[in-house]
Amino acid sequence: MSIESLDNKFDIEFEIGQNGDSAITLNFKNEIGETLTKNILLIKDSIADLINSAKLPDIIPAYQSLTLYYTEPLDDIEKIKNQISDIVKNTLLSITKSQQNKSKTSTKKIIRIPVCYEAPFAPDLNTLASFLAITTKELIEKHTNGNYLVHMLGFLPGFLYLGGLDESLHYPRKNTPAINIAKGSVGIGGQQTGIYPIESPGGWHIIGRTPLTLFDANKSKPTIAEPLDEIKFYAISSKEFIQLESQARN
Amino acid sequence: MLFIKAGLQTSVQDFGRTGTMHLGVSHSGAMDKTSLSLANYLVGNQKDNPALEITFIGPKIQFQTSMSIAVCGAQFDLYLNNELVFNNETIDVVQGDVLEFDKLISGARCYLAFSAQINLEKQLGSLSTHITARIGGFNNGQLKDSDQLEFLSTLVVPAKLLDKSLTQSFSGNYLLRCVESVETHHFSEAQKNQFFGSKYKIDQQSNRMGIRLNGNKINDSEKIQITSSGLTQGSIQITPSGLPIISSVDGQTIGGYPRIANIISADLSILGQLKAHDTISFELIDLEYASILFKQKQAWLKSILNS
Repeated sequence: MSIESLDNKFDIEFEIGQNGDSAITLNFKNEIGETLTKNILLIKDSIADLINSAKLPDIIPAYQSLTLYYTEPLDDIEKIKNQISDIVKNTLLSITKSQQNKSKTSTKKIIRIPVCYEAPFAPDLNTLASFLAITTKELIEKHTNGNYLVHMLGFLPGFLYLGGLDESLHYPRKNTPAINIAKGSVGIGGQQTGIYPIESPGGWHIIGRTPLTLFDANKSKPTIAEPLDEIKFYAISSKEFIQLESQARN
Repeated sequence: MLFIKAGLQTSVQDFGRTGTMHLGVSHSGAMDKTSLSLANYLVGNQKDNPALEITFIGPKIQFQTSMSIAVCGAQFDLYLNNELVFNNETIDVVQGDVLEFDKLISGARCYLAFSAQINLEKQLGSLSTHITARIGGFNNGQLKDSDQLEFLSTLVVPAKLLDKSLTQSFSGNYLLRCVESVETHHFSEAQKNQFFGSKYKIDQQSNRMGIRLNGNKINDSEKIQITSSGLTQGSIQITPSGLPIISSVDGQTIGGYPRIANIISADLSILGQLKAHDTISFELIDLEYASILFKQKQAWLKSILNS
């Protein structure tokens, strides 16, 4: 299905597929990017406004998809597909020029994240730099120069899916994932950079670590950022790391 | 309540939390909600009341107040002060009584419910323990030796017994019914026939996040390119090695491997009873039938809970 917005600024093309007996997934054919993410989030908000959360508690955005996870199995999927297609259509039609302009000029929330790129927090920094045939200093510069857009959260609690990694830093994941990656580790894997919010196994090359806590279930806003926020990394020394970490504990 | 021994993985679980998947937090909750519901019924609770999920090797517990308890699900040799007691019936305990879970006879997880409220604060709307993410439960994790769990409003309730015809048995051999998933159409007929025609064995690396299977590797599955999307409970992903992995209650919220099918809601509780070397196979049914099976299962449970 293809839907054009009122001012022809954005055509959205998607299919709705069954995701088990209690969920459907909208797969978008548009390119991954800020425009698609914005539209996916607008659609998510419209659906959340129109369908009771007791019936549909979880709406999960991803780079090119939106998954609607209902409480109970769907007994009439065609009806639901039609209902959701209508909501998508109405959402896109209601995005007027003024809103588009407004969203363009509105200032983005920028979240600055301290990262220590020194040993022992950066076990793979040297090997990754040599794989990429650059110095570690260049690697750190390129990594801290980037503006990273939060597309969505997921995988692990508080994990941020970031877009915008400099192409010269793209490098395939490790063939054999490390068994234990420390909480706060900052890594590069494929075309992505990201932070491990909790200790977990993983295949990314670890180039640093942040002393910040990315997910705190006791806070009213448990995550450090939300979709469409922008992340900037800045380098700190291991001494600053230890200071910040002990501050975070107290 | 004192945990003289905590067991392999004993944790507080209810029906889990919802509305948090967009933050990366999966639902958690009991893996076998049917058994949790039955245990709660026997002690006069709502079916989703928090209880203990006990896995493979059970705990040894000393009670500090009188209350009624019940155990449903996996069958252990169960001793109260060294005397055999049984699943599927209300058991009264008094201060000082010791309940010991000995040898596991069948299934993988049982639920110990109490006629009392566990004195813990909810996190993100639930008492359920998300073991990998360390959210909810007792000190955000599974119970450890010498931990003490406190209760509020303990009482002794009238004894109940589940009719023999209603008790579940766990053979170690299961047929799990499935419906299509997001990427089912990316698999060829040959790949689907291979999957639905095979028996798989449960790998011992399985846990509350996912159940890994051994057996027939799906040919050429690594060539399927997909867009990652929301991962629901019971999703069967085919990993690049060709082996399936079933996501469960503590699973990732977004998946990156193609899903050949999803286990239907009516059969999800069985996932909680799978252990290493059990055998499973899969059958594809249509969505309408899956919805009917779910309603039948709800009606079956309701007829017990309201009796």
